[in-house]
Amino acid sequence: MTRLLVLALRQLLRDARAGELRVLFFALLVAVAASTAIGYFSARLNGAMLLRASEFLGADMVLSGSAPAAPEQVEAGQRLGLEHAQVVEFSSVIATDEALQLASVKAADSTYPLRGSLRSAPRPYQAEEATPGPGPGEAWAEARLFAALDLAIGDSIEVGSKALRLTRVLTYEPDRVGDFYSLTPRVLMHLDDLAATDIVQPGSRVRYRELWRGDGEALAAYQQALKAGLQAHQRIETASDSNRQIGGALGRAERYLNLASLAAILLSGVAVALSAARFAARRFDASALLRCLGLSRRDTLLLYALQLGMLGLLASLTGALLGWGAQHGLFFLLRDLLAQEIPPGGLWPAAAGIATGLVALTGFALPPLAALGRVPPLRVLRRDLLPVPPSAWLVYGTAILALGLIMWRLSLDLKITLALLGGGLLATLLLGGSLLLGLKAARRLLAGAALSWRLGLGQLLRHPLAAAGQALAFGLILLAMALIALLRGELLDTWQDQLPDDAPNHFVLNVLPAEKDAFAERIGALSDHAAPLYPVVPGRLVAINDEPVRQLVSKDSQGERAIRRDLSLTWSAELPKDNRLIEGQWWDARGQAELPGVSVEAELAESLQLKLGDRLSFSVGGLERDAVVSSLREVNWDSFQPNFYMIFEPDTLQDMPATYMTSFHLPPGKERELVELARAFPSVTLLQVEALLAQLRSILAQVSLAVEYVLLFVLAAGLAVLFAGLQATLDERIRQGALLRALGAERRLLLKARRAEFGLLGAASGLLAAIGCELVSALLYHYAFDLRWQPHPWLLALPIIGALLVGSAGILGTRRALNASPLAVLRDS
Amino acid sequence: MNASILNARHLSKVVPSAEGELSILADLSLQLNKGDSLAIVGTSGSGKSTLLGLLAGLDLPSSGDVHLAGHALAELDEDQRARVRAEHVGFVFQSFQLLDSLNALENVMLPLELEGRRDAQARATELLERVGLGARLHHHPRQLSGGEQQRVALARAFAAEPDVLFADEPTGNLDSHTGAHITELLFELNRERGTTLVLVTHDERLAQRCHRVLRLEGGRQVDTRPGERAVRQ
Repeated sequence: MTRLLVLALRQLLRDARAGELRVLFFALLVAVAASTAIGYFSARLNGAMLLRASEFLGADMVLSGSAPAAPEQVEAGQRLGLEHAQVVEFSSVIATDEALQLASVKAADSTYPLRGSLRSAPRPYQAEEATPGPGPGEAWAEARLFAALDLAIGDSIEVGSKALRLTRVLTYEPDRVGDFYSLTPRVLMHLDDLAATDIVQPGSRVRYRELWRGDGEALAAYQQALKAGLQAHQRIETASDSNRQIGGALGRAERYLNLASLAAILLSGVAVALSAARFAARRFDASALLRCLGLSRRDTLLLYALQLGMLGLLASLTGALLGWGAQHGLFFLLRDLLAQEIPPGGLWPAAAGIATGLVALTGFALPPLAALGRVPPLRVLRRDLLPVPPSAWLVYGTAILALGLIMWRLSLDLKITLALLGGGLLATLLLGGSLLLGLKAARRLLAGAALSWRLGLGQLLRHPLAAAGQALAFGLILLAMALIALLRGELLDTWQDQLPDDAPNHFVLNVLPAEKDAFAERIGALSDHAAPLYPVVPGRLVAINDEPVRQLVSKDSQGERAIRRDLSLTWSAELPKDNRLIEGQWWDARGQAELPGVSVEAELAESLQLKLGDRLSFSVGGLERDAVVSSLREVNWDSFQPNFYMIFEPDTLQDMPATYMTSFHLPPGKERELVELARAFPSVTLLQVEALLAQLRSILAQVSLAVEYVLLFVLAAGLAVLFAGLQATLDERIRQGALLRALGAERRLLLKARRAEFGLLGAASGLLAAIGCELVSALLYHYAFDLRWQPHPWLLALPIIGALLVGSAGILGTRRALNASPLAVLRDS
Repeated sequence: MNASILNARHLSKVVPSAEGELSILADLSLQLNKGDSLAIVGTSGSGKSTLLGLLAGLDLPSSGDVHLAGHALAELDEDQRARVRAEHVGFVFQSFQLLDSLNALENVMLPLELEGRRDAQARATELLERVGLGARLHHHPRQLSGGEQQRVALARAFAAEPDVLFADEPTGNLDSHTGAHITELLFELNRERGTTLVLVTHDERLAQRCHRVLRLEGGRQVDTRPGERAVRQ
């Protein structure tokens, strides 16, 4: 074994000196560097975006419940080294000497918030600044509470039995921005004063929130630890599911970055497969010689396996280092744009990169390597003896499985992995088969073609299996590149649509029926982009088909949350903009029925297992109302429009006491008019969501940037792999070029032949890529990205792009073949 | 001077090596007239193939010059030399050097097509029939035996009616019986077409069939004398 090891090392060094290993080494290097760099880039950007999203929670993770968390639960978190803050929220009447006002009170300790910061102003409507929260004995309140109770800074308010001095005006809490439904003004006080208020008694409606901050591993461990003892009233929220608007965008970005890493791995696989086959083919002679010299078959195999292993390890380590350096460079270039702390990526992306390189090498080098063991020693005498073909299916199958496992482990997303791998495999089989048939048919046509075409294509057509393999390999490279480019456009468009410049930045609640028309008129004058006024009746879903819902719904599901609180029920003659019917019919087509119809949001319907025709019972204002599920709607939660789980048929809830809500875009510079509006309609609640919008926009900008750069990365990696792959197919072309030159062919002819060959190869690859890309994207859109798929006619340009790209890369890459000295033919013999 | 088709004067070839400059050919001159045949013999590494490469314009000498069919090769660039080769030179190699992607007929047509001749197919067919492969026109090299491949190579070499045919160990890869057959064919075709033949070989019997035998040792010409064929004539 030691002898073999030494021998392998010596041979490796000799081969390296002779330049024999360049292609494989380069392919592996590029592959590992690309997948490591993209892996790091994705992981770190994802981390950065999660950090931003954490602000909406005020923490990385929150354990909330209607009773205090058990001491063991808190201790478990502290033992894991997590930072902790505690918040208690409740409603209370705030009293001054003259007046009363219901407020939602938040008592927080000094460490709150753990992510993001509180902002406040010294006086109502003055400029805000980021500051720590109120100390004991102090309270901050929103400007509308100052207005409602006619308060000033320095005045005293009573919260329960505790008097607190108002010191600042609260303008921003990070964890409240997304909460449109908190209608009452906020008062923020210190947790130390809570006991003195005497408000929080057993049975009172209080929300306890334990905020946690720390690194991902500790958080995951804590989350795991909590799961076992989680009480019915308790719920865990993390940054990624904290906010629907952000969650959607982040989720897609994360999946996109994942997909990009997977594409990079796929690219690596292709590059390594191409060059490993060449590595083995070039060693047929040598291994036959070794066998002749008395080395056993097993030892021959082992020798090459060792050699390959050492090479793989060296290339992978160097590649990982290179990739790590590349992403550092990129983040350095982007430092002004990102302008925030980027968490380090850890070791995982590098490990994944190295593992990718080694698995791809093992998987794809194994079949040709196994063939080396079967090279008959007689080959030293008869060069035409080739090894018995290996059972390629088995070995390639193992390779693909291994690749799939890496992809899955890296993305933790089975759907994407399966869509990409399965779609790719399916496309490979289907297209490879038809390509093979096409090539065979083309052979007949070729007989009458010009010399350059016959020379160029002869090579492809003589070995249709190899040609199909190459076309597939380049096709996969183009597919990966096109897919990432395609998704980039679609995601950017989606995000752009989600937050147009005139996205609503104000929500309006509590418009009284009597004021509705006057208010609509005022809003219409103020803004070009106002949503309709929707009536809102609070109501609770109590039974489905006469079965009480409490018994039907599993804990912690969306359905559970929906039935625990009052829903905002509404009615509308029109299907709201941004809503899409996916089942059933809207009212017009429904006709007369005994019970009124209700249209249910699709995800809630799924969670509650509702079907068309189910009878729902609601408790509205103490009365029971029944309705029949008549349609299911998809709702775009990312839009800043009033959205509803339940929309009733018009004239079915009219007799209930309703208020109206809407949202509108207030153009900049109209703040004064807004204040007048608030004065004219004192009962109306105006919520500004400008801060949320700004934050969302900045996150989306960051995500878009990430997507752009990852695309560049993938394109660069794709080109590098393409080049490496071409290098691997060079030997035969160099020999052919030298022979033709000896026979008197000029460069121009050779160039033409190469152009024909690579152009056709590229066009075929492009065609494969276009078809494959549509196939895979349709799967991905449906299963992973929740985007609506449409055909992409521009993919038809792929064959041309492929022809140009592969054609020029081919000519560049085989310049050596063109310039090969015709003397080489003599040397060879 | 008129009849001289190949004229080499004071050819030297020096290549850099780890131990400094290595002289693989030193001060070699020769002149061949139309219809002449020359065998270059010598041990391995004596510079036979190097000399062949220089004479055929596949490589350029370090010093000295080669005139092939009136062209001073050193003054031409690689593409111009390729044109001279296409017009005046044919090759036969030890390892046949057929293009795998082309069938027998196409391989023979290749030099004709490089010259742009319209009767390529007819001529190629005729030549293949001449070497006894009329029934195997559409076979690919892999489907042919070594002797058959070399016959295709011979047909290819004579296809473009070269002035000079360079043959590098044409029987080196063949058994003696097949080798003898190929040799016969080679000299027959040579005679029929009045081609000048330059043959590299270490087969003395083969060498003796040429007009002249040039013996190389360590890159130097040690002996030139008439072959048996010249003597018989």
